[in-house]
Amino acid sequence: MKRKLLFILMWIGIFYTGNAFSQEKTVSGKVSATDGTTLPGVSVLLPGTTIGTTTDSNGNFSLKVPESATRLVFQYLGYVRKEATITGNFLEVSLENDEENRLDEVLVVGYGTQIRRKSTDNIARITASDMADVPSPSFQSLLSGKAAGVQVMQTNGKVESGMTIRVRGVSSISAGSDPLYVLDGMPLINQNESNYTAPTNPLLTLSPSEIESIDILKDAAATAIYGSRGANGVIIITTKSGKEGRNVLNANVSQGFSSPTRLREWLNADEYIELFTEAAINRYGLEDGTDIAEETFDWLAVGTDWRNREVNTDWQDLAFQNGRITDFDLSLSGGNQKTKYFFSGAYNKTDGIIRSNDLDRISSRINVSHELSSKFTAGANLSFSRTGINRVSNDNAFTTPLQSIAQAPISPAYLEDGEPNPNTLYANYLLQDKHAFYNTMIRRVTGKAFAEYRFLPNLKFNSDFGYDLFYQTEDQFVGSQAPFQSTNGESYASSVGTESYIFSNYLSFNKTFAEIHDLDVVAGMEFNDRKRRFQDATGIEFPSDDLITLRSAAEITAADGTVTQNNFLSYFARATYSLYDRYLLKASIRRDGSSRFGTDNRYGFFPAFSAGWIVSEESFLKDSQTLSFLKLKGSWGKTGNAEIGDFASLGLFTGAAYNQTPGLAPSQAANPILTWESIIQSDIGLEFGLLSDRLTGEVSYYTKKSDGLLFNQLLPYTSGLSSITKNLGIVENKGIEFALTSKNINKEGFSWNTNFNLANNKNKITELPNGDDVIDGRNILREGNPIYAFYILEYAGVNPDNGDGEYYVNSVNEDGSLNKERTANANAANRIIAGSPIPNWIGGITNTIRYKDIDFSFTFQGEWGASIYNGGGVYQSANMIYEDNQTKDQLRRWQNPGDITDVPQARLYLNNGAQHSTRYLEKADFIRLRNINLGYTLPKSFTQKIGVSNARVYASGFNLITITNYSGYDPEARSDAGASQAARGIDFYSAPAAKTYSFGINVTF
Amino acid sequence: MKKISIYFVSLLLASLTACESKLDIKPLQNLDTEVALSSSANIQNLLNGGYERAGRSGLFGGYLQVASELYGSTNEIAWNGTWTAFGEIFNKAILVNNTYVEGIWLNAYYTINIANLVIDHIDVVDEDERNRVLGEAKFLRALSYFELVRNFGSQYGAGGGNSQLGVPLILAGVLDYSGDLTAGRNSVSEVYAQVLLDLNDAYTLLPSDNGIYASKFAAQALLARVYLQQGDYAAALASANDVIENSDAQLTSTYAAAFNNNTNSTEDLFAFQVSSQAGSNSLITLYADQDNGGRGGDIHIQAGFINLFDSETDVRSSFLYTSANYANRRLTAKYTNQFANVTVLRLAEMYLIRAESNLRLGSQTGGTPLADINAIRGRANASLKSSVTIDDVILERRLELAFEGFLIHDYKRTGRAVGNVPANSESLVFPIPQREMDVNPLLEQNPGYGS
Repeated sequence: MKRKLLFILMWIGIFYTGNAFSQEKTVSGKVSATDGTTLPGVSVLLPGTTIGTTTDSNGNFSLKVPESATRLVFQYLGYVRKEATITGNFLEVSLENDEENRLDEVLVVGYGTQIRRKSTDNIARITASDMADVPSPSFQSLLSGKAAGVQVMQTNGKVESGMTIRVRGVSSISAGSDPLYVLDGMPLINQNESNYTAPTNPLLTLSPSEIESIDILKDAAATAIYGSRGANGVIIITTKSGKEGRNVLNANVSQGFSSPTRLREWLNADEYIELFTEAAINRYGLEDGTDIAEETFDWLAVGTDWRNREVNTDWQDLAFQNGRITDFDLSLSGGNQKTKYFFSGAYNKTDGIIRSNDLDRISSRINVSHELSSKFTAGANLSFSRTGINRVSNDNAFTTPLQSIAQAPISPAYLEDGEPNPNTLYANYLLQDKHAFYNTMIRRVTGKAFAEYRFLPNLKFNSDFGYDLFYQTEDQFVGSQAPFQSTNGESYASSVGTESYIFSNYLSFNKTFAEIHDLDVVAGMEFNDRKRRFQDATGIEFPSDDLITLRSAAEITAADGTVTQNNFLSYFARATYSLYDRYLLKASIRRDGSSRFGTDNRYGFFPAFSAGWIVSEESFLKDSQTLSFLKLKGSWGKTGNAEIGDFASLGLFTGAAYNQTPGLAPSQAANPILTWESIIQSDIGLEFGLLSDRLTGEVSYYTKKSDGLLFNQLLPYTSGLSSITKNLGIVENKGIEFALTSKNINKEGFSWNTNFNLANNKNKITELPNGDDVIDGRNILREGNPIYAFYILEYAGVNPDNGDGEYYVNSVNEDGSLNKERTANANAANRIIAGSPIPNWIGGITNTIRYKDIDFSFTFQGEWGASIYNGGGVYQSANMIYEDNQTKDQLRRWQNPGDITDVPQARLYLNNGAQHSTRYLEKADFIRLRNINLGYTLPKSFTQKIGVSNARVYASGFNLITITNYSGYDPEARSDAGASQAARGIDFYSAPAAKTYSFGINVTF
Repeated sequence: MKKISIYFVSLLLASLTACESKLDIKPLQNLDTEVALSSSANIQNLLNGGYERAGRSGLFGGYLQVASELYGSTNEIAWNGTWTAFGEIFNKAILVNNTYVEGIWLNAYYTINIANLVIDHIDVVDEDERNRVLGEAKFLRALSYFELVRNFGSQYGAGGGNSQLGVPLILAGVLDYSGDLTAGRNSVSEVYAQVLLDLNDAYTLLPSDNGIYASKFAAQALLARVYLQQGDYAAALASANDVIENSDAQLTSTYAAAFNNNTNSTEDLFAFQVSSQAGSNSLITLYADQDNGGRGGDIHIQAGFINLFDSETDVRSSFLYTSANYANRRLTAKYTNQFANVTVLRLAEMYLIRAESNLRLGSQTGGTPLADINAIRGRANASLKSSVTIDDVILERRLELAFEGFLIHDYKRTGRAVGNVPANSESLVFPIPQREMDVNPLLEQNPGYGS
């Protein structure tokens, strides 16, 4: 109630304050937190001007303001922004921790910041405290389940595997769908550089411990300032910075243990022999069948006594290992009124759950700023990191660990001499493990130098120069004893360096006119240049398996070198206006030019408009405590998607050497009118606070229409090329998002907060070139359906009379219905749309409970509506078509007339119901206990005796519980055999996610 | 203060104008279409690119030949690979989405498009090179169309007619991809007519010796093969005889010497070039063990094949080895060098064509059928024959040319059933790839493959 009164008083103050700068007065005061500790480094500002200062190490400040000034604004990261009326010349101000009220948090938007209360954007903000202690090397996985409408998916359980992040659905078909990542103003290089087929996560280089906050810009009002790169949402990462006051040394150590989230059941030796023999007899008759089966067993058993089941190998067990994750972070921060610094170093070592898959990373960061004068501030951020990854083959290679589940259980894994058995059904992964390696090393340097000059109290100029270097080397050696090795060893080495620099200059103007008009204007330009240089070489014929570098190769068989470049030249402006602090308007525009597009279509305009009305400030609601806050807002804007490769518009020929003489061949079809996709997004939303903001929330409805999709339209092969990039087709995403924050209990020594988010998104292709279907493998693009819906035969089950696996014919009858007759002939059956790889509901719920010195939090996350296709099913669960080991459920096969089952009769080497069909398609719905943390802060009385200001021990878990009906490894495991597979919802011998328990201690000196 | 502002603003403006021109960036790895087609050297490079394309795994680099052998085999080889699409071919139950069928179509048409571009821009080529370049382009185009028509269309009937569907005849290079690119299927007779036209042109245009590239006699040898497939034995005879008598090619001294060669053998009339650095020999992938660069022997040789031999001394019956990976797999020794050239036309085939044609026509042009067959058998150390029948020649082709991609086409042209599948079965004609049906509505699917 008191706060409410203060609030009202403050608003009254706004109306009756003059705006003359003629005379000055000095206001001083002291700022502290609600718990009484003094707060140094709090910025104190005269609103509507740039007059301001920061508090000193004792929380004191002193500021000269015009005589007419009536109020000051206090801002401090992690605390609620506060406006206080100037009464007398000494102010006592106390700030609340910002977990208290999300409405007052400061959002980082492009080229500035804004208070959520007055924002007309849709932005999800996640702060360091929301993502603390999650045992995972990639910061993206910390976002999972935390923000409404943001889907976070790691391709599979390999430590380096790619991340798929989709903000408000998938808005592109062929161009990139990843959001733009901006780190302290620098757009990050986020290009997959793996040369080992499976995509890696280029942002693995970033240590989560350096991050202060992540703002996810979702609607066009927020993203349009990023123009042609804003279409997929923008993720703004802000790194930690020093705060004025005492030097703080913080150390954090944790150790975790991982295992697969789920395993599958496979046939053992007994069952394998039984089913294989049966399949052979069914195919070749009793006598021949038995012979063939026994011959096969003799071969697979490699001299062991299979008749007495001498060997019963659990190949699945050999594919996995006990994972471990070690984190060690150290940071030193502090500063005085003029200089602030933050130094940190972090080490992460992650041993994956997949055999011989691991990662280690060291990273360091230095953020420094210095105020040279009251007008001029300058500083620099610099981080470097080194990430080494030991990798295994992609999911579609015999030599990847998890493909060993296809091996026969009667085959020994090792020979008697301890060497891996080289005579297995498929190449024995253990040989690869022993005689080959693939190592990726990424060095990354990201930094910026910045300067800010205040010409006038209301006008400042910022100039930033940012630089990002992604330098990666890869080394592979396949020794002479490895599978498929016929050239006395093979060595591969690659090196790629991508450099990006950005030069941004912008002016910011901020002024309050006549006490009621608040105006913020930003205008500037930016130039971003990115250059990539790649080379690699392969050599064969090595004198020894100990000589592994190319130097020793007798023959260099391949070498490549490429240089590509692109750049963007942009101008942008944004004006934010508010009247009576309750009627809000915002407009922004960006003009982007890019080398990626033809000269005729090189520039694009990206405008956005938004408006809001804080209804709760109107007189009729002002006194309501039940409805303490209510804001209506709406926005419209246009963004672009320019992620189509550097020279997509040109007709090109590429080198095609033959017989060591130069050659040329057509490689790309010309389309001189090619330009970016334009995405029109409209939003309406409602933000509210109930019961004095104890319950706050936001509901938004959006439509997002991607027009002129950058589309690789398939060409008939008879034209000599396979596809052409065109601006064709329309995709729509429509959705509703709910976000709720509730302070269930907020007492001294006991608090319980709940954050809940839920989002529905409907993805629909509304227009395709000529309305034609585009079929690609198991997926289809068809008007009226989601992107890459599954398009496969419909499995009808088993004919009880003869054990045939059958499909529905699904031809279209004259009346438009589908012909549901059954056929065992796959060629006579027609494919249907059978599901979507994109979930339509995603959500998460986080509970945070603090009781005295104990803190406890957990996040459940879920996805519903997507399907997943087990592409390996045609080998794994195919009623013993080949020698591949089968999932245990294949024992349900049809055996006798009259048997009712869904697994057809086993017929060796004959495809009985094992064509790609809905037999292998399942719902991918799941709910996961994504993370859980339990911490205990040691009593101050104890810690202070040993010179420690704060010490906390904690235990945390990641992916501990997974609830799903999917029968495969993991509802989130996707094939990494090619970059496009993950988005298609295809699982193919893909590793499940890691389940991790971790224990740690965090100490502050 | 104002001065500083002016300084900043002018700095800003200066940096902007400097940036504007930077938006023009040319690719460094690729050539613009206009540049690529504007010089004599580039057109010849493009021709070289045509060989590169035709020599890829999906076509002559191996899968075309493998498909023919799998298609025509029953008990002579076993298929133990995991690639389901090859399994479908072996089982004569091909699905419309078969990736290898699609690959043959794709690579053949890509080669044709390159050949068409060369032919369209032949005026750019220096005059002294022009005939050779044009002849080679026509050779590549004919080679591709011949494989397309005999795989995707039903067998050419010697009696005429042949109005059954072949493949689309595209005879102009595509540069404008914004237009209508759909094309319907021409008849089998139209496609064969084009193949003959191109090859006869190539024969006229090409020199007798053209290094590793297509020569006059490569064109003539291919003509012999085409005529044989058509059942035009008189023409086949004339072509084969011309090659035997007038080209420099000679049978290698031993059978083994005809295979696994890094450079063309004396017997090779045309081969796709492979080295450790370029080209593909994917026959290795399927026929060889891991020590020789393969997968262990996805295709292994059964007793059914060995039993075909009638002479114990015949080295061809033992031109085999045991897989180092699977003790129960017997593999052909024709493919043990992963960087060996892939032979497309070799002289032994010409002797076999001449012998068969002479037998069928009752003539003895160039030599008796018996002498021709014994020339082949003698080289392989097989017992010599005292008389030959047409069936003997067909069997001799089977033994001499095994695993080289002849099998299914010999069954089809002679009308013999493959196991219990009749030669004219719908299942022995490839389906038009589903992917192509999806994007080209003018295409009509072959019978037996649904709508």
